[in-house]
Amino acid sequence: MTAELFLQTVVNATYAASYMALIAVGFVLIFGVMGVINFAHGELYMAGAYTVVALYADMGFPFFLAVVVGLIFVGCLGLVMEVGLFRPLRDNPLGGLIASIGFLLILQTVAMMGFGVRMENVPPSTQDKIVFLDGAVLTYQRLYVILAAVGLLSALWIFLRKSKFGWSLRACAQDREAAVLQGISINQTARIAMFIGAGLAGVAGALTAPLVSPTPFMGHSVIVTAFIIIIVGGIGSLEGAVLVAILYGFVHTFVTTMYDGTLANIVGLLLMLAVLIVKPTGLFGAKERA
Amino acid sequence: MTKLSKGGMDRRQFLSTTAAAALLASVSMPKIAFGAEKTVKIGFLAPLTGEVAAWGKPGLDGCHIWADWINADGGVKVGDEMLKVEFVPYDDEYDPSKARAGAVKLIKEEDVKFIMMLGGDPWPGASQVAEREEMLVSTLLPSDLTPDTEMLLAPCEVHPIYNVTGVEWLAENKPDLKTAVICAQDDALGKPSVATYLAAFEAAGIEVLDEPIFFDPATTDFAPIMSKMLALKPDIICLDTCYADYVHPLTEQAFQQGYKGQMISCTADFYQKMVEKTSKEFMEGFIFQFPDFDDPKLNEPHVNFKKPNDFYQEYLKRYGAGEWSAVSWEYASIMDLWADAATKAGTTEPTDVLAAMKEGGVGKHAFGEADWWGEKLFGINNALVGLWPVVAIQDGKAKIQDFKSIPDWWDQHSDLLIKHMKALGQMYYQRT
Repeated sequence: MTAELFLQTVVNATYAASYMALIAVGFVLIFGVMGVINFAHGELYMAGAYTVVALYADMGFPFFLAVVVGLIFVGCLGLVMEVGLFRPLRDNPLGGLIASIGFLLILQTVAMMGFGVRMENVPPSTQDKIVFLDGAVLTYQRLYVILAAVGLLSALWIFLRKSKFGWSLRACAQDREAAVLQGISINQTARIAMFIGAGLAGVAGALTAPLVSPTPFMGHSVIVTAFIIIIVGGIGSLEGAVLVAILYGFVHTFVTTMYDGTLANIVGLLLMLAVLIVKPTGLFGAKERA
Repeated sequence: MTKLSKGGMDRRQFLSTTAAAALLASVSMPKIAFGAEKTVKIGFLAPLTGEVAAWGKPGLDGCHIWADWINADGGVKVGDEMLKVEFVPYDDEYDPSKARAGAVKLIKEEDVKFIMMLGGDPWPGASQVAEREEMLVSTLLPSDLTPDTEMLLAPCEVHPIYNVTGVEWLAENKPDLKTAVICAQDDALGKPSVATYLAAFEAAGIEVLDEPIFFDPATTDFAPIMSKMLALKPDIICLDTCYADYVHPLTEQAFQQGYKGQMISCTADFYQKMVEKTSKEFMEGFIFQFPDFDDPKLNEPHVNFKKPNDFYQEYLKRYGAGEWSAVSWEYASIMDLWADAATKAGTTEPTDVLAAMKEGGVGKHAFGEADWWGEKLFGINNALVGLWPVVAIQDGKAKIQDFKSIPDWWDQHSDLLIKHMKALGQMYYQRT
């Protein structure tokens, strides 16, 4: 591998890790606080992308305004899911999962009816790029995703560690009954978790819309990777999700570049298998819950 | 007196009004009441949703134009009757099990006389039903053909064999290009196409620098794949028969990572969007195989597709400028062949139409006279093969550069194609 290819692969891997971290952290936050496996998480990512399609590509609003609206809109979709689906089914372990599958299909159908089945063309907000000395290239469009991941996940970490609401989220994730006994509102923490978790997926979709050509089915592929990341990281662990997203992003990108993508997928699954055998709770499963 | 509704009409008024309405309807709609039009149903079993919908839905849209034009002229002449044509679509979602369900529904419930499919992965799902019911089926992918598929035809698109024409034209017109790299999704469309490009490059004296890259169809980030290809410093990047969802991001990645060389691809559906996302300069000379039908070269006398320029304008008027794809005209061109054969046979029965269609071993392919061919490659002469256009983007617009003969290439290089097909397990006797 030449120095140029190595550096380009590092750049590619950093982008891949960033957007997967945004998706996986939202996924794990929802599961950690609410105990729900949200199968519609990939479709929340898709909804963020379509917000940019509608506002930026079709209506001509500024790109970053569309991204912010995407975050808020998808966060609000999360609130709708929490109030309409997950709260009534809170005592039914499988109910939330099934309801999220139903919501997934609804979101896909709405996207198909609204935009059609074709892939959407979202022009990049800029063609500018950084060219490193060795010739490796990082486009601004990808840089935005990396910066958003660093900024938003840092803000989330501070929120969880330093704010009263963050403490209540962590308390619910650790022991919901004990949290209730301390006077913490389960409904309120669930709403916050859903808004943040869905919003992170939405912002990931919104920022990557110019890079992936959105389709109503774009959520399928990311949800599988998100599962691998949260299982390896430890179900319910935010730190685990971030670290494994970085690890997975680098391993997958390097194996894809050096060998091929199919082998990279196999390596990802073997990684998950190995962790499950050695440490069934995941790398950060038991001790480092949100 | 029985009141039907409070303050409304009584029973006598109701009966007399109903009788009058029925009489009026029978008088005002004489065709329906006394002489209903006869209709033949054609099944459209292709992906209308999902990742491969771009090779199904635009074809159905084209068929609607074809049917409207034919029906406006009275329909298809079959024996002494004029039959209106009705398309019955079924979305197979590029899934074999759904294709099977669709084939059953179309044949058993809808009584269709002909089924058009995209082919590829869904064909094995529908094949048993089609064979058992002796249903005539068309595919766009002759790689579905085997000696056992007697009722399956590839009458329009000889995918991927026509890809040789693009490479042949490139070698003739840009002889300084000496090296290439290839990538494709790892599926029933990608592999035979890779074998074809390998044969075409070898025949043209162009060196393929590394093993072709087969990527997972679930891939969403194409930067690593393009980085790997660019590291080899090729003169030509070949995108094989990648789906539009892959051609676009791969092309964007080539642009973003600074590639300035030649690109070739089987398709460039919605290429205007690629021009928007990259630049006219970057896309200049991009070679592919599917023309826009407003191209003046389609008015040359050898072209059999009826009114191609009008068809294109109508398509754009109905569905929008950005909706034209590689398959927009293909299923309609198959219907031209089917309608001619049904007229010749005097019946719509599938076996008779098949015999009429293949009579004499030649047929009127959309781009010119062609032969029913394929025994050496597919084990059966059920692919209609002749001329195929080579298209290049010039100043942001697709333009036909030339029509090249596939049989002529085959006569010189058949051994190469068979060698590479065998190596990738794509000969008919190797496929499962």
